[in-house]
Amino acid sequence: MRIYATVLLGGVLALTGVLFGFWWAPFPVGLAVGAVVPRARAAVPISGAIGLLSWLVPLAAAHARYGLGPTATSLAAIMGFDHLPIVPVALTLMVGVLLGLIGGWLGSAGRAVVASSARVDATRNR
Amino acid sequence: MRTSAGPRRRRRARLPFLNLGAAILVSAAVLYVAFFPAAGLPALGAAFNPSTGAWTMAADAQVNDQTMRLDGLQRPVKVVLEQDGTAHVTAQTDHDLFLATGYVHARFRLFQMDLLRRQGAGRLSEIVGKAALDTDRFELQLGLLETAQAEWSRLQPGDPSRDALLAYAKGVNDRIDEAVATHQLDAMFTLLGYKPKHWTPIDSLLVKGDMTQTLNFTDTPLVMALLNKQLGADLTSEWFPILPPNVQAPYDPGPYSAPKVQPIQQMSQPQSILDGAQPLYDRLASLPQGLVARGGASNNWAVAPAKSVSGGALLAGDPHLHLTLPAIWFQLTMDAPGYHAAGVSIPGTPVVLIGHNQHIAWSLTDAQNQQTFFYVEKEDPGHPGMYFWNGSWNEYKTLSFDIPVLGETTQHVKVRWSVHGPVISERGQTTSVWWAGNIPSQDLSVLLNVDRASSWQEFRDALRGWFSPTHNFVFADDKGNIGLISAGYFPQVPKGQPWLPMPGTGEYDVAGTIPYDDIPQVYNPPAGYIWSANQRQVTRNYPYYIGTASNFFDPGYRANEIRRVLSQPGKLSAIDMQALQTDTRDFLAGEIVPVLLQTLAGSKLSAKESAAMRLLAGWDYRMDIGSSAATVWSVFWSTYVSETFRPWWKSRAVHVDMDEVSDALGQDLETWTLHDPGNRAFSAPGVGSRTAADAQTAAFHKAIAAISRQLGNDPAKWSWGRVHTRELDNLAQVKGLSYGPRPDRGDANTPLAAGDSPSTHGPSWRMVVDWGTHTFQGVYPGGQSENPASSWYTNRVDAWWDGLLKPMLSGDEAQSAAGVKTWSLRP
Repeated sequence: MRIYATVLLGGVLALTGVLFGFWWAPFPVGLAVGAVVPRARAAVPISGAIGLLSWLVPLAAAHARYGLGPTATSLAAIMGFDHLPIVPVALTLMVGVLLGLIGGWLGSAGRAVVASSARVDATRNR
Repeated sequence: MRTSAGPRRRRRARLPFLNLGAAILVSAAVLYVAFFPAAGLPALGAAFNPSTGAWTMAADAQVNDQTMRLDGLQRPVKVVLEQDGTAHVTAQTDHDLFLATGYVHARFRLFQMDLLRRQGAGRLSEIVGKAALDTDRFELQLGLLETAQAEWSRLQPGDPSRDALLAYAKGVNDRIDEAVATHQLDAMFTLLGYKPKHWTPIDSLLVKGDMTQTLNFTDTPLVMALLNKQLGADLTSEWFPILPPNVQAPYDPGPYSAPKVQPIQQMSQPQSILDGAQPLYDRLASLPQGLVARGGASNNWAVAPAKSVSGGALLAGDPHLHLTLPAIWFQLTMDAPGYHAAGVSIPGTPVVLIGHNQHIAWSLTDAQNQQTFFYVEKEDPGHPGMYFWNGSWNEYKTLSFDIPVLGETTQHVKVRWSVHGPVISERGQTTSVWWAGNIPSQDLSVLLNVDRASSWQEFRDALRGWFSPTHNFVFADDKGNIGLISAGYFPQVPKGQPWLPMPGTGEYDVAGTIPYDDIPQVYNPPAGYIWSANQRQVTRNYPYYIGTASNFFDPGYRANEIRRVLSQPGKLSAIDMQALQTDTRDFLAGEIVPVLLQTLAGSKLSAKESAAMRLLAGWDYRMDIGSSAATVWSVFWSTYVSETFRPWWKSRAVHVDMDEVSDALGQDLETWTLHDPGNRAFSAPGVGSRTAADAQTAAFHKAIAAISRQLGNDPAKWSWGRVHTRELDNLAQVKGLSYGPRPDRGDANTPLAAGDSPSTHGPSWRMVVDWGTHTFQGVYPGGQSENPASSWYTNRVDAWWDGLLKPMLSGDEAQSAAGVKTWSLRP
């Protein structure tokens, strides 16, 4: 349940940020998730999912509103991938996912270092 | 066992730190490519995010009814956008008309406008990197920025063109601010990672300078110098004469008044100054397409009421330019108390350049007279940094520029100016260039007056101030009058050989222009029709030097064909005008093929060659897609040119690209084939004594062999469309956003101009006006929007390709048309 709540809250925060032009929002949100969720195996995928959602939802909304076919085709042409409109879509979502993933990873890794230092201190104190 | 537990624990204790280190490294790498451009990619986060990145081009492609506030407007303005994107701007004040036009241009073409001003100002490297550095250096040397600044500084407060430029810039800037605030900048800005700076009046003047350069900054004197040195003065003067060797159709047959400016007195000069031409020629040859004019191709004509089915004057125009997506043109009507003009404008400028108003219609072709002169400056080690002119040593004026380069350090450029103009070469000899495009002029003011003219007199008076590029302005009015005038600067030198680089010591300087009343022009000629297609406008009796036949003017085949059609008995309609604009009859083929058939009748031919000959015998000289004869003709002619001249090029080690002078050589070959088949040119060193017939036969054998290798052995399948295509280039050179290549008709000699393959130049706008029925039609290849995701990116291409025209509606007609969108602009 806590995991769902984290995904939901993180997703809303990241999505709001992206909608307001702060496209890098999945990174700090992922960072926070990594710092809060105790297990890295859960925190990193959650952060990736938040990154994906926060970039996918506006993209899907734009598609529903305007139709992104011609835009994807044009971007593919600009990138040198004529007739492969899936490439810019995939690249876009990949960037969103990566921003979330690295946030989550970095947050978890920081948390692990803090925890490890705390353990060492506790052992010494004992 | 116990001894290993310690290190394992230490390793385990180190793991979180290693993990953190790896996370930091990977995060840094991902964040770097997200925030900054790297490895040729844009900053991925900024470029591709769905809210403010390149995906916003989807929203930008939508055009809806809108009410919006525009800063700087005095009264409400209405903009009606037709289903195909044609804009109709209706304003209550002239100021608002120009402001709204700036807004509309920027709304649809801001990236194109930014590229155009950057090109003129030498600022392309700032956004694309060092690949554009040579172009930027050259543009700053040539002086477009200097000229634009000088033109702006000479405009006094209260001058209508000054007010127009200021209001236009305000409208552009309103759009820039809006686009930045709403993340609606064109995707190319996002992908290149920059925001456009505010527009200034000087930017508009730079755009005009770009067009002038494209049309009339030539390297021909350098080409002639190299030919003189390498091919020899004898053959150069014989093969590249001042007057055309072939029969042409000048539109102004005279009689001409006695010259009021002394014609060139002594056509000789020291030949040693030609030594430095090669490095400068090489440099200009290496510049991107469009910076040096390489011959022109445009058509226009008018027909008087006596020859018109409708009883009113007819006018047709199709300027031929580099065909790009987006196109150089933007179609609109401009309505305000002082202006009622409809037609096409160049984004970045606030006027209708080709079109009509309530009383007159006009179009233009390039006049092709020589407007570029090269001067070799006399220098001396005893006078460093100085040049000798008019009997004394003078200091160069020096200008310094910075060129910011993306990803590199800023480059510094120093440009020296002599009295002739900017120094553009210092390798070997110091060469400066006198270019009419560098004379500060008030051409914008001229165009505004043309837009307001209501008679030939007003039209002609307005054009009196036009400098460069010289254009053949065709005219037809609602009262049945037609006229054609080659307005612009016709430089005159007192002595020397202006078609070559000349000494810069003063005696050979440009001393003035041909008086306005003496420039080529006709008004209501008895024949009832007028035409221009870049041909020499005047006969050999014209008393002034205006350029050589070789390269400044077109060989004249399109003009000859247009005159041939217009001179047929009977009356002409707007449909005939439309048909002539897409005419694919090759006038040169009509002259040469009968001679070739006669020659081949006496030759021994293979079965395949005989079949090819039969194709030619039954041909109507039309370069149509399905015509196999067209392929045979085209390959034969280029082989014939090569067969005749290549041996000379080889034996005399000529380093000028033969293609660059093929028009001139073609005129010679045409003339000799028809009138001088024994000319010595056919007997080049190494090929023995030959006649035109011998060269034709040899060329025909080679041509058929070459076609067979490329297209197979069945002549019936050698259709023109298999070897001749056309392409509309994306302006940003993104191949996937170009159109074509697609098989297309025509060649360089046909009124529907389509030289080369893929052909990238051609009719950039076709317009037909019938004052008898008050119908106005036009089309250009492309669409109103530069956004490739917009339905207005290529929506006009098919109609243009098929030779169709679309009605040019008035503002009132557009309001009641189906599917229009309306923008209400409020102060």
